[in-house]
Amino acid sequence: MEPNGAAPPLLEMQGISKAFGGVRALSGVDLTIRPGEVHALIGENGAGKSTLMNIMSGVIADYEGKMRLAGTEIRFSSPQGALKVGVATVFQELDLVPGLSVAHNLFLGQEPLRSGIFVDNSTMYQRAETVLQRIGGGISPRGIVGNLRLGQQQAVAIAKALAVGEPRILILDEPTAALSTHEVERLFEIIRLLRSRGVAIVFISHRLEEISQIGDRVTVLRDGQTVATVPASTRQDHLVSLLIGESLRALFPPAGTATSEDRLTLENFSYRPGRPSPDWQEPHDINLTVRAGEIVGLVGLLGAGRTELLQVLYGTAPPGLQSGSVKVDGRALRIGSPLAALRRGIGFVPDDRRGSGLVTTRSVAENLILADLKRLSTLGVVRAGRVREALRWGLPRLKIKAAGADAPILSLSGGNQQKVLIGRILLRQPDLLLLDEPTRGVDIGAKAEIYHLVRSLAAGGLAVLVASSELPELAGWCDRLVVLRQGRLIADLPPDTDPARVLALAGGTYTTQEP
Amino acid sequence: MSTQPMDSGMETAEFAVGAEALTALDDGKPPATAGTRKWLRFRFLIRFQSLLGLVLVLFGGIIFSPRRNGEILFLSADNLANIVRSVSETGIIAVGMTFVIIAGGIDLSVGAVLGLSGVLVARLMIDWNYGTALAIIIVLIAGLLFGVLQGLVSNYMRIQAFIVTLAGLQLARGLARFISGDKFINISFGSGPKQAPSSFSVLGDRFGGVLPVSALVFLGVGIIGSVVLNTTRFGRHVFAVGGNERAARLSGINVRYVKIVTFAICGIAAALSGILDAGQLAFANPDSGTGYELTAIAAVVIGGTSLFGGEGTVVGTLAGALLLGSLNNILQLNNINSNLQLIVTATIIVLAAALQHLASRRRGT
Repeated sequence: MEPNGAAPPLLEMQGISKAFGGVRALSGVDLTIRPGEVHALIGENGAGKSTLMNIMSGVIADYEGKMRLAGTEIRFSSPQGALKVGVATVFQELDLVPGLSVAHNLFLGQEPLRSGIFVDNSTMYQRAETVLQRIGGGISPRGIVGNLRLGQQQAVAIAKALAVGEPRILILDEPTAALSTHEVERLFEIIRLLRSRGVAIVFISHRLEEISQIGDRVTVLRDGQTVATVPASTRQDHLVSLLIGESLRALFPPAGTATSEDRLTLENFSYRPGRPSPDWQEPHDINLTVRAGEIVGLVGLLGAGRTELLQVLYGTAPPGLQSGSVKVDGRALRIGSPLAALRRGIGFVPDDRRGSGLVTTRSVAENLILADLKRLSTLGVVRAGRVREALRWGLPRLKIKAAGADAPILSLSGGNQQKVLIGRILLRQPDLLLLDEPTRGVDIGAKAEIYHLVRSLAAGGLAVLVASSELPELAGWCDRLVVLRQGRLIADLPPDTDPARVLALAGGTYTTQEP
Repeated sequence: MSTQPMDSGMETAEFAVGAEALTALDDGKPPATAGTRKWLRFRFLIRFQSLLGLVLVLFGGIIFSPRRNGEILFLSADNLANIVRSVSETGIIAVGMTFVIIAGGIDLSVGAVLGLSGVLVARLMIDWNYGTALAIIIVLIAGLLFGVLQGLVSNYMRIQAFIVTLAGLQLARGLARFISGDKFINISFGSGPKQAPSSFSVLGDRFGGVLPVSALVFLGVGIIGSVVLNTTRFGRHVFAVGGNERAARLSGINVRYVKIVTFAICGIAAALSGILDAGQLAFANPDSGTGYELTAIAAVVIGGTSLFGGEGTVVGTLAGALLLGSLNNILQLNNINSNLQLIVTATIIVLAAALQHLASRRRGT
């Protein structure tokens, strides 16, 4: 289905290039948005999606190339400028004030006034009501934003873009990244509603399964260039090959050989936090074995319970009750604290690098040795010689590129920061390594280095359980894929399984049997 | 497999325009990497801003000092010793405060704990006949327990340190007044009843006739604090907890323990100051130390420690305390209105904070 196939373009971007400090993020990208279409923009991390979006929305004003809106050449200097001519953006980090009501958020900074001074609350609530009705969903203008669920907050952020007047183009930056399946459905209803009124939607995502559901056309970016613009009905495996190109396949290390030694064994394992939350998917009745020398990939949509399973094993889940058994090296594991897990030889690298990983105020060396200070010290005093030894062991092996061990951690690229975090855990020489989105925000070269590093450690007997939202990565890297859906393990597959089948099992919304 | 420069650069760029890094774009600078070396030089400056400031103030002192018979009064041994003594009490507290602030907390109770400790040590010796050493040890332990209590309440009841220690301030001041009967306690030295052991008077003495004992204690505390912060595992944990609490926890660090210990250190420091205060003045005033918490925090901030936690040095704090002391001394020597001293101090605090803001913008946090 391709509505308005012949309509004149609403927004044309031609030859867009952008460099940051001598590094090209975009080189000669073309993009055409037609009125009333949902145009998906996809690409691996580092492909240039965010840069392109920031140019479109006016965040980046300094770029090469031309942009035409309804035939007129235009160059935005700020997001406000873009908004004035009808290009609205809802960023991933929603710019809402949690303590204020929905109506106050919708009209923040442009509240209707009485006598020029006082906020005219009754008018504001009335107008808010009208705007909210346009997106449906029954959100009250008097509700406090902080009390709303994430999906509703997303809807409020979209309503905020509509409060100024109907936009011609609405840019949504990874709007589904933090939503549950049900909330995603609700968001898609809003998108369809807006599309039916002629609003063009630019939908940034890296989830292929969503694109066939909601998109009309897809533009694929790779390495800062447009690879293709194709109909959203394009087969997923074709999209995957467009996304990663042939080059990435060559980046994966050869498969390893698993031993027969069981490292991690889960039997009918369930975990229920004391205070259950809809945002925290409980693992249900999971049976899983990870052997020494094996890399096992956790596949699942967001909210399927991948991260939660890793959190439970590492002891960072909210306190609760477990049932069934979990064994490490044949001995029962008591779910406790990170320290307890580390002592049992379990290492964990979180997905939220900045929030849960880096000590941003400290150097590369300090970040690297953080979890291993006990071994590096005598009677509580850190021994400089042992630290140097650890750095000599770690920096080259991890291929960390830094101005020096004393360089601030934030001066490193995302890939090198990630290597430091993996190295932090590796210094403790774990037997079982849990990785959550280990290559998020990491460039392709560093990705390959991480794949090889983990593979070589696995060859030395390490067992690895890795969660990722990028299926091609797991398929190329892992020895087995296990599929999670709503907290349950529903399949254990060889890595060369047809991606469409894996996604079908994971998603439930995508089926190959559809007529 | 090696990274091609193109690839690694791509990533940097993408990261820079991701939602979390929007602020980095606001000042129009590309993210770090390229400017790393320049940054390191800059960081060196920031790191020792208080030492440089101190040197500047000392030069100023020499230039503006009144002279008598050609002698520069500011540089006289007596005057320099006076400067160190005058900042010793707030300085010792500031060293303890440095630990709390680097770990991401704050302790407003220190001035009141100083008052409480002075009263307590006086009554222990005068009314309850404790010897000098035992009285001092008991008061130090009391200070430690007071800190631990605040740490426990803050961590287990999940109340911000600011609030808990604000309450701690009221509690300690109330206890001080209660224990003293809301009166000054005069300390006379001797072996008779209602007298303190004469060994306690050592605290008011001058070592070798020149260096006040309190100044010596201050420098000793500074050295110990600096060594603990820089060379021990605990010191690294303090930085990690203040820099990123979640990362610290995931790295197997007992975050609560680390935070509670920093409050304990600060409590001991405040108690030590209270003991020195009573020893030097030869009386204990339950209202002694009022406002010292703010002077101590000022010294810490001037010393380059971030109130957001995660970075700072004890050496900086020492320099910050001495800088404030020297400045007041110069103004006093020139008979400048003491209200003007406050205005100058205000300017310096703002300058120091502005320098730090510049540093963190450079770093992109």
